[in-house]
Amino acid sequence: MIQVNAVGDACPIPVVKTKNAIRELRGAGVVQTTVDNEIAVQNLTKMANQKGYGVRWEKLAPQRFAVTLTVGEGAQAPAPEEPECCAPAPAQGKRTVVAVASGTMGTGDAELGKALMKGFLYALSQTEPLPATILFYNGGAPLTCEGSASLEDLKSMEAQGVEILTCGTCLNFYGLTDRLRIGDVSNMYTIVEKLSQADQIIKP
Amino acid sequence: MREKRPALVITFATTTAAMAAERFSLAQGLPGRLIPVPREITAGCGLAWKAPPEEKERLLLAWEAGGLRWQEAVILCC
Repeated sequence: MIQVNAVGDACPIPVVKTKNAIRELRGAGVVQTTVDNEIAVQNLTKMANQKGYGVRWEKLAPQRFAVTLTVGEGAQAPAPEEPECCAPAPAQGKRTVVAVASGTMGTGDAELGKALMKGFLYALSQTEPLPATILFYNGGAPLTCEGSASLEDLKSMEAQGVEILTCGTCLNFYGLTDRLRIGDVSNMYTIVEKLSQADQIIKP
Repeated sequence: MREKRPALVITFATTTAAMAAERFSLAQGLPGRLIPVPREITAGCGLAWKAPPEEKERLLLAWEAGGLRWQEAVILCC
């Protein structure tokens, strides 16, 4: 496996470095690129999908991601003269914060409320522009934890630059501290800052 | 936005039918998930089941055996 360090590099440098490493493979093999922003993850994933390479990524730390590309036998190596396409940075307009305070959407039937919340997070992940931040607290905290049916949607949004924060007090209260599977732990000061600095708050 | 890929989308006559399909599918380990009905199908509100297109036959056979009812199954990018 070839390791590529693209930490601190802005687009298109991570993609350029990774393509160079793939050419060095001269056939099948694995290239792992370390980057420090979600846009680079998105660009590398897009390039891999276009080329038919296997791709997976994991978040190693708040600003550190490892993107692993698997080049199969017979896969086409990228040409040196190929243009690099950078994904747009997250929307610079309104700063939208989504505050998820419950595992259900609305009041009424609990099972329907859960189905609606899952549907809300799915639809949110399909919408442009994506929010800047999604806050999870109280009954919303389990949605970012092991067993949540919304993890795939949240991972997709995080990979595109959405900040996902879950209330640490709530995780502790519900005994979920070790089961957080997406985003970072937050405290009340950060939650207050995010809400007070938002241009628009969506509360499903 | 997430890249759109072809998916099997199955609609239901009622919300409760969709939720029953979810309960049944999760219990049986069948593939897919509940999503809001895509706008390409209807402008109205509702829930649909989304699954990989190649799972259509297995899914619908299992649902039929389980006595579930659905409206239509279409392939679209979502």
